[in-house]
Amino acid sequence: MERPDLKQALGRLLGPGEAEVGCEVCFEQLDRYVELELAGGDADAAIPGLRAHLDGCPACREEHDSLRALVGGEQAL
Amino acid sequence: MNAVTLALVEPMEHATHQRAPRPSSTLAPPLDEESRSWLRDLRSEGAAKDQAIARLHGLLVRAARFEVARRRPALPHLRGDELDDIALEAADDALMSVLRRLDDFRGASRFTTWVYKFALLEAAVKLRKRAWQGREVPLEPESWSLFSSAGLEPDAEAEQTELLGTLQQAIAEVLTPHQRRVLVALALNGVPIDVLAERLNTTRGALYKTLHDARRKLRKQLENAGLSLESWLEEAN
Repeated sequence: MERPDLKQALGRLLGPGEAEVGCEVCFEQLDRYVELELAGGDADAAIPGLRAHLDGCPACREEHDSLRALVGGEQAL
Repeated sequence: MNAVTLALVEPMEHATHQRAPRPSSTLAPPLDEESRSWLRDLRSEGAAKDQAIARLHGLLVRAARFEVARRRPALPHLRGDELDDIALEAADDALMSVLRRLDDFRGASRFTTWVYKFALLEAAVKLRKRAWQGREVPLEPESWSLFSSAGLEPDAEAEQTELLGTLQQAIAEVLTPHQRRVLVALALNGVPIDVLAERLNTTRGALYKTLHDARRKLRKQLENAGLSLESWLEEAN
């Protein structure tokens, strides 16, 4: 069996260790955050704590990645 | 009624520390023409409204199918028609959520980006639950023995042993039983948060707050024990 990476495992156990929003604020702000990212804006400054939440919450991170891929793909057309 | 979205919008107690301030929504720019057009049509009556809802449903189906396609490699046991049924159900649920929450749209993004997130969420939650259907949700630690120290230098091995020992002790002694179950299931055993929320009859937001509080306690305990976390975590995320 492959050994899991200890640093990644510790990251999952201990979380981002900085101020973060919760899942519901993340969902509220996700569309704005993704558009700012795609436009090259400073999404992290505009919505403090969302990046930390994405680092700590795999489900929200997956939804962020999907929205970014979907909207980014449309913009590329 | 859409349980997924309700779970997300339920009020959640915010800790006063280590929580980012709630972002302001008062800075939203004026609506763009396309977004205004969507809102006008969806708030109209008769054929114009029906047509707008049909167009909106089409967008949501597209987004839900996009999510299904992204996750398909991880779901080899599901047939194509089963996956498309999940996408259509997700789009239907997302449509209900969007129409119910239309007044929440403030133009902070394009309307289409705003609605896509509902379909992606519904599809992702359904697929995570489907992937765990019939599986036991492990609430006890299963993985400690996997952190092998094989190949480490003696100093590093001793440091890792001390870190893991302190961490295991903190999990056993500092956390409440509920915090321990949630942390172990989510962070150690990889149970998706929606799946655990359903099994424990709670919400995603409430579970994440429990996880957040548990993580804070563990960090504090490790710091009190004089263990430097930065060197262990610098490449973690």
